[in-house]
Amino acid sequence: MVTLTIDDREVTVPKGTGLVEAALAAGIEIPVFCYEPRLGPPVGACRMCLCEVAPGPPKPQAACTLTAADGMSVRTALTSEMARDAQNGTLEFILVNHPLDCPVCDKGGECPLQDLTFRYGPGNTRMTFPKRTFEKPIPISPLIALDRERCILCYRCTRFSSDVSEDNQLVAINRGSQSVIATFEDDPYRAAFSGNVIELCPVGALTSTQYRFEARPWEIQNSPTVCGLCPVGCNVSATTREGKVKRILSRNHPEVDQGWLCDKGRFAYGHLNARDRIAEPLTKTGPRRFEQLTWEDALDRVEAVLRDADAATVTALSGGETVEQAYALGRLLREGLGAHTAVLPEEVPDRLDAKRAPLSALREAKTIAVVTDEPVVERAPVVDLWLKAARRDGAKITYDTPKGRVDALVTDDPACADSCDATNVYYLPRTPNGRGVADAWSAASDGEARDVKPRVLIVSGDEAATDPNVRAIAADAETVIGIGMFEENFRGLADIVLPGTSYLERDGTTVNLEGRLQRQRRAVMAPCPDELAWVAKLAERFGVEVSAHASLVFGELSERLFGGISFGEVGEQASLPARAAAEAPKEQVPGTTVPGTGLRLVAYRPLFSGAAVERTPELQFQKPDAEVHLAPADAKERGIANGQTVTVSSNGTSLELRARIAKDLASGVVRIAQDHAGDLHEFVEVKSNA
Amino acid sequence: MGLSNVLLKGADERDLTKLAEYQAIGGYQGVPKARAMSSDALIEVLQTAVLRGRGGAGFPMGRKASLIDRSSPKPKYLVVNADESEPGAFKDREVMARVPHRLIEGCLIAAHAIECTHVFIFIRGEYLAEYEILQAAVDEARGAGLFGDVEITVHRGAGAYICGEETALLDALEGRRGQPRPRPPFPPVQGLYNAPTQINNVSTIATVPTIIEMGAEAFAKTGVESAPGTAIFSISGNIARPGNYELELGTPMRELIYDIAGGVPDGRELKAVIPGGSSVPALAPSEIDVPLDYDSLQKIGTFFGAASLIIVDDRCCIVQLALRSAKFYMHESCGKCTPCREGTRWMVQLLEKIEAGEAELSELDLLDNIGSRILGRSLCALGDFAVYPTHSYLSKWRDEFVAHIEQGGCPYGGASSLEGIEAPLDAHTHSPLPVIA
Amino acid sequence: MSLVEDVRQIAKKYPDSRSATLPALRLAQERDGWLSPETLREVADALELTPAYCKSVATFYDMYHLAPVGTHLVEVCTNLSCALAGAQKVVDAFESELGVKPGETTPDGEITFRTVECLGGCGYATVVAVDHRYKQKVGPDDVAGIVGEIRGAQ
Repeated sequence: MVTLTIDDREVTVPKGTGLVEAALAAGIEIPVFCYEPRLGPPVGACRMCLCEVAPGPPKPQAACTLTAADGMSVRTALTSEMARDAQNGTLEFILVNHPLDCPVCDKGGECPLQDLTFRYGPGNTRMTFPKRTFEKPIPISPLIALDRERCILCYRCTRFSSDVSEDNQLVAINRGSQSVIATFEDDPYRAAFSGNVIELCPVGALTSTQYRFEARPWEIQNSPTVCGLCPVGCNVSATTREGKVKRILSRNHPEVDQGWLCDKGRFAYGHLNARDRIAEPLTKTGPRRFEQLTWEDALDRVEAVLRDADAATVTALSGGETVEQAYALGRLLREGLGAHTAVLPEEVPDRLDAKRAPLSALREAKTIAVVTDEPVVERAPVVDLWLKAARRDGAKITYDTPKGRVDALVTDDPACADSCDATNVYYLPRTPNGRGVADAWSAASDGEARDVKPRVLIVSGDEAATDPNVRAIAADAETVIGIGMFEENFRGLADIVLPGTSYLERDGTTVNLEGRLQRQRRAVMAPCPDELAWVAKLAERFGVEVSAHASLVFGELSERLFGGISFGEVGEQASLPARAAAEAPKEQVPGTTVPGTGLRLVAYRPLFSGAAVERTPELQFQKPDAEVHLAPADAKERGIANGQTVTVSSNGTSLELRARIAKDLASGVVRIAQDHAGDLHEFVEVKSNA
Repeated sequence: MGLSNVLLKGADERDLTKLAEYQAIGGYQGVPKARAMSSDALIEVLQTAVLRGRGGAGFPMGRKASLIDRSSPKPKYLVVNADESEPGAFKDREVMARVPHRLIEGCLIAAHAIECTHVFIFIRGEYLAEYEILQAAVDEARGAGLFGDVEITVHRGAGAYICGEETALLDALEGRRGQPRPRPPFPPVQGLYNAPTQINNVSTIATVPTIIEMGAEAFAKTGVESAPGTAIFSISGNIARPGNYELELGTPMRELIYDIAGGVPDGRELKAVIPGGSSVPALAPSEIDVPLDYDSLQKIGTFFGAASLIIVDDRCCIVQLALRSAKFYMHESCGKCTPCREGTRWMVQLLEKIEAGEAELSELDLLDNIGSRILGRSLCALGDFAVYPTHSYLSKWRDEFVAHIEQGGCPYGGASSLEGIEAPLDAHTHSPLPVIA
Repeated sequence: MSLVEDVRQIAKKYPDSRSATLPALRLAQERDGWLSPETLREVADALELTPAYCKSVATFYDMYHLAPVGTHLVEVCTNLSCALAGAQKVVDAFESELGVKPGETTPDGEITFRTVECLGGCGYATVVAVDHRYKQKVGPDDVAGIVGEIRGAQ
């Protein structure tokens, strides 16, 4: 610990604490623009943090680049004329070429430049020359607009691009006062995390095209919730105005997401208002046609169908439901009908709880094995940022099944998760809440599933509705009851569809890939009743009592699944439960894949795919290119260079794709995004076209 | 003690770009001598010699070497700053063109002091001929087996004054935009590739062999006590015999200007001397009775800088001088920190207005105040360099600024020696983007 | 050898291949005359960097051309020492001899003419660099000869 004074206030902070944080501990603000510890070491560029520091040279010092030391005296604008004039001067320089168009700027009202100018800046300008002007706004992608006049060149965005997401696409070009932020030529800023630069921008230079002119800060509300689009469960705030979601912001959970959010989580909210959104119950009237039903009729019909089929009902779950939804459905179907059979989205081995750790612990790992078929970024995007951070910090990352012990293992293979020797294991499920759903379903009843010929299939959620396995079961069922958001996904599948809600429209809990229980909060009302409301009503008809309120449902299952904590205790920033005692690994059943000849093809599911992305026009440019990813050794063996056109073939079918050499790939495996994999079989050969 | 021939010794008599010629006058004998010493002992020698950095800051070279974190498991690097870009300076160029082996010998000795096996020489991109000579000399010396386990890589810049700033130079050497880094961390702890790094100017390193040859104590007795040795002084502008003169530190400025370089030609009067390259405060004719060394110049409010004197005669409009200088610093500002990026541009705008006779008296104070708000507040010294000369012109030749305002134009009426001088900035050669207004 | 191979050779001289960025850009420019978007993409591929990164670096330095230039480059220093010695008269002489202003290229595409900041030849003013080879103590009277020399050399 070191003790120093800041504006004569004594404060003791841990050794190595930066002055900005030390001042904060003393309740004093050191204003900053470029300083953002999440972007790496300080750069000292904006000069907003200039303070008088002793001991030190007799001129203002950039406080953001200094660490607290014993006996140090720091004076901010509060007590030092030198610091006051320096900070005032920095703002004057920033403002000489800033357009001050706050009344028409999206950032107005929540703008650090505005706020700091009020607190530290000059009240008027001494600048009498024409300001620098640029063409504006320039779309740097369909998602982000750039206003170069407003830009204060703090380099936060470019540092994010180079030092956090490592995409190196958003850069500064030119020199001196001619410097501007740019992408290469007219290329869009196309990267999984591009939207973070909007939040990082301390002025209105980088704005969201979706949010542009949609709301002012004094008209909005922010609901703290958790993203429901992948198994990471990034903490987010949903900004709403007049009952509509207007944007999604990150909400820093230091153990989960560090305040980063992928573009799917940030921009895909447009799906709430998709044209084919189901708001009323539907009944099938033709092969691809539906007609609306009243809720009364719908519930009567569903009741009748279920009574007729009774236990011969099978439920297919998506893994996107909340714990409470899955539990309530389970109570209705399992207790009410004895229909215990479910098609679960995936099985997540509980045994991994003995090796669980927060994602942030990846950063401390020195050796990491990544054993995944699918690219990490496509399945659990933020995990990829943690891996990059670990590598920057010197971790050694390998992409093959580890031979010896590693500090951390990241895998999408349950067998590997079980058998590999690792201190911390991060298993990447496919679905956002597959584990919570499976646990909730199993907790709903003690009854045993019996072999039944399914007469009625309940398809819960759009993910299940588009799953080929579920569709195969549906083909044999007499009646299919769907629960979902989008008409398109249930056409030709369901006989009756009940409207579903989005993760932004409901209360409940989910369990992320770490095993962390988190709260989703309703940001906006759904265009339809909540699932819990009608499940409760229906359950009543079958003599089963289920609450329509997530908090009460949670109260009922918490004892069995979550150690009895209350709904409120889950909190806005959930903690990770302690590790479970180690369990013996299950006997491994050897895989049934017969090794084929050639390269094993992984047709991965891209991050930018699925119902929500399909319904967000601005995200279409993020869809993957027609590329085949090859491991460096495989490429070398075949004389294939990065970017070259190659032919990928298997049993009589072949495709032309661009080759990309991917260092995060084990030899013997190639990857193609599902969208581009055509009818290729599991084993393929790749040939250079050159 | 008389000493006037250290860096360029022998170069008038022989072609010292050739290894054999350099060896014939005892060249490279310092390397085995130095290598016979421990690093600590060698650093001690360099400290005793009080060799002050010739690049501008004047920091003792031996002291710098002692700050290198030699216990670090990372490699240690020696980087030679051959990015000589200070307007008025052309001395390192002569060292590289005429005595490249002395520089290389200095590298090998200095490398041993900090236990470094990879030396980089960062030479400004414009110095093509000098690069060719230096690279040939490096190859010849390497071929002759003089390097041992040391490698020397000559790295060419690509045109940016800021790369003379040591941390910007490191970024350029790492393949980035050459922008200064915040300090701390300082290069001796975290420099090139985040490893401990010593950075020295060409003339500094090229002086090292002489220290080994004559002994640190003897060297320390030359020049002045606070700054032993010689420096090559570049003198240019309105002077009868411009060029490089290697002189002992402490030589009177008047002697250099009038006796050695022949004074102001064409019967003109001396108006100003910018003594350390264009970035230091200018001196009025009444101030030139000063010894040419770091401390003496600092005492009268200016700097030794790059030991480069620009002589200005009485045909020059001081506002035009300030403007041309300001345009240079605006052009070369890297754009990283706010005061320098925005302030240098604003200064140019104000100086243009003053020169056009359209300014008001209060704008002289504004110019002065803008300068004060850049000075000491920028990330690196470039911001200071933009302000020092302007501040000095404004305080020492204020009458001339006032005359522009009162007469509604330049009092020289088009006859100033800098009338109409075009700067690269005027053609916007550095802005491929359309600027609308 | 191809650019890619050349660049890889250069990269080997450095502990980190990124250090080869400036030399690689120079090589590419020597080959193509200027750094077109296509050239920048090629350099980026060779260095395993992005084209945006390469452009970011290239636009920082004065010696890289981000637009086409003439076969020959004439650069006149107009910084203080040369300016005091009459560099503007040399600039004017080039202007009338070439018929273009600083920053422009002759209509035949042969000569790009520009003013530059200090070239480090202050004692030998005015300094003119022709394709990076210095001509020193250039006066307005020397200009016709220099231009003739450039044109004659073609």
